[in-house]
Amino acid sequence: MALRSLTINGEVHTFEAPPMARLLDVLRHQCGLTGTKEGCGEGECGACSVILKSSADQPGLLVNSCLIPIAQVEGASILTVEGLARFSGNEGQLHPIQTSFLKHGGAQCGICTPGMMLAAVQLLEKNPHPTLAEVREGLSGNLCRCTGYMKIFDAVRLCYQHEVRHHLQEAP
Amino acid sequence: MRSNPADYDLVRPRSLPAVLALLAAQPGVYTPIAGGTELMVQFGAGHLLSTKLIDIFNLPELNAITVTPHEITLGAGVTYTTLRNHPDIARDLPLLALAASWTGAIANQNRGTLGGNIVNGSPAADSPPALLVYRAELSLISARGTRRIPYSTFHTAYKKNVLAPDELILAIHLPRTFADHTQYLRKVGARNAQAISKIALAAIATCPQGIVQNCRIALASVSHSPFRCYATEKLLNGAPLTQALILEAQTTLKSEIAPLDDIRSTAAYRSQVSANLLIEFLTQLLPTPYSLHPALNTFNTQPTPEAEQSLRACCASQTWAGTVAANRPYPSKEALLAASTNLWFTLPEPGWLEAFAHHPRIGETRSPTTAFLSHSTSEQAATQQTIANLADELAELNRAYEQRFGFLYIVFASGRSAPELLALLKSRMLNSRTAELHEAAAQQNLITTQRLERWLQS
Repeated sequence: MALRSLTINGEVHTFEAPPMARLLDVLRHQCGLTGTKEGCGEGECGACSVILKSSADQPGLLVNSCLIPIAQVEGASILTVEGLARFSGNEGQLHPIQTSFLKHGGAQCGICTPGMMLAAVQLLEKNPHPTLAEVREGLSGNLCRCTGYMKIFDAVRLCYQHEVRHHLQEAP
Repeated sequence: MRSNPADYDLVRPRSLPAVLALLAAQPGVYTPIAGGTELMVQFGAGHLLSTKLIDIFNLPELNAITVTPHEITLGAGVTYTTLRNHPDIARDLPLLALAASWTGAIANQNRGTLGGNIVNGSPAADSPPALLVYRAELSLISARGTRRIPYSTFHTAYKKNVLAPDELILAIHLPRTFADHTQYLRKVGARNAQAISKIALAAIATCPQGIVQNCRIALASVSHSPFRCYATEKLLNGAPLTQALILEAQTTLKSEIAPLDDIRSTAAYRSQVSANLLIEFLTQLLPTPYSLHPALNTFNTQPTPEAEQSLRACCASQTWAGTVAANRPYPSKEALLAASTNLWFTLPEPGWLEAFAHHPRIGETRSPTTAFLSHSTSEQAATQQTIANLADELAELNRAYEQRFGFLYIVFASGRSAPELLALLKSRMLNSRTAELHEAAAQQNLITTQRLERWLQS
């Protein structure tokens, strides 16, 4: 079993894993980062969404960590929900998307929330003032079985309503 | 049960020649994996049979997009996200960009590749119908060399293809000659994102001087693999685009496809919806759609609530009106009437009863909703002239009928005298409830059809 390393939320993690170990399992069981959830395990629900930056010159891309063999992301940088606050632009403060989810009641049971927020971050990075239709499309791979979609959409749509976009570029 | 990762190997030669050399040295041993949106699902579910995988994701040789004056060449490793965002693809091959936009959702689009979509060979896959109508060609590569084949010859049976064990798809070639074509792609599924299509139809054609030319049609989910509709194309190409041709094309299309019943849909639904999508495409080909029928044109283009309101004045079933409105546009009066009839007879009993309940009793002009009065009054004009002396008897029989069957007596009264109607009512009282329910539904359909025809003539 090979010794591997991965930069997660700006910190280097080293661990042993076979090449087909799923990124999701490595995050949860070997790095202790249980904020990333497993829902369906087949890329349908988005609960395990993380942002993956495979090299410094590549953009960070939203992916389902249940569908990523660990060998394919060696040396990459990963952003999980635990890292959102770190890249909020204000050390020790919540990320604006987290604040917005709190403000708009965008979480019920919480299982979909980490994935929803990372999908939202990916969307808002390209489009800080999305329309409702754009929010729905950006989050279309993330399912909420509490069906709290409207509050989630509000949280995303209104995230940067009064804020200047300044911090997302720093995220991995 | 979930697979144990320790039972699997994944090797990563980081160049195409190295991948091909390994595939050539041990043909059939390694399964190539790109974005993992299919194989990792199988792996997660414990269904991945191959225990040796070879990584081809992000190989530079498979990621290239080359645009020449006549052709766009897409590396097999190009992701859906790239297909969606590439300006040349959006301009020259819009159907491919559209298919990519509703494949999975953002996270899957960031990983899934066009080559993977092709090799996976699902008959329901989103991009193949577009590739078929665009006459895509594939370059296949192995350590032995490359060969170029039409994509239409790639799939040989369900999930089978012509790739040799040591061979990969290198690139997909698409002509840039469709700027003047009418292009059409529609997916019908539970939702666009994530859901796999129940049916999808891609089509392109030109129609100079009303003659169909360069028409190619392809469907997902109607055969063992993505399906090109050669017989329908042959019928259409070179023919003047008339309503008769459109009807014939539907029949031909239904006869050349062989959809199945499965977890997502039924063969009957798929067959009918394929034909409906074909009508929608051919209607777009018409130089001035609906121009022969101003009322139909209005109906086809007005907002849904108004269209439903017009329909409910003809038949009060909410489900019927909602679905008939949702299936607009209709290319002709006949298509609307056929859709109305087909849908009506598939409604469950409550849908019928809802329509029945909004009729006035024969001999009465009161109706639960006033929208019907304009229609009901004229239909029953003949009845009203002679009604006086029969009114009591009719009223009494109507009450008896309602008591026996639990719904209003429905009869297509146009052109019938009061004595005729009375005799008919008496005979129908002898029916079983099931038989009478179906009789009433048939009568309602006659009424609805006549109302629709009158409304379209108005």
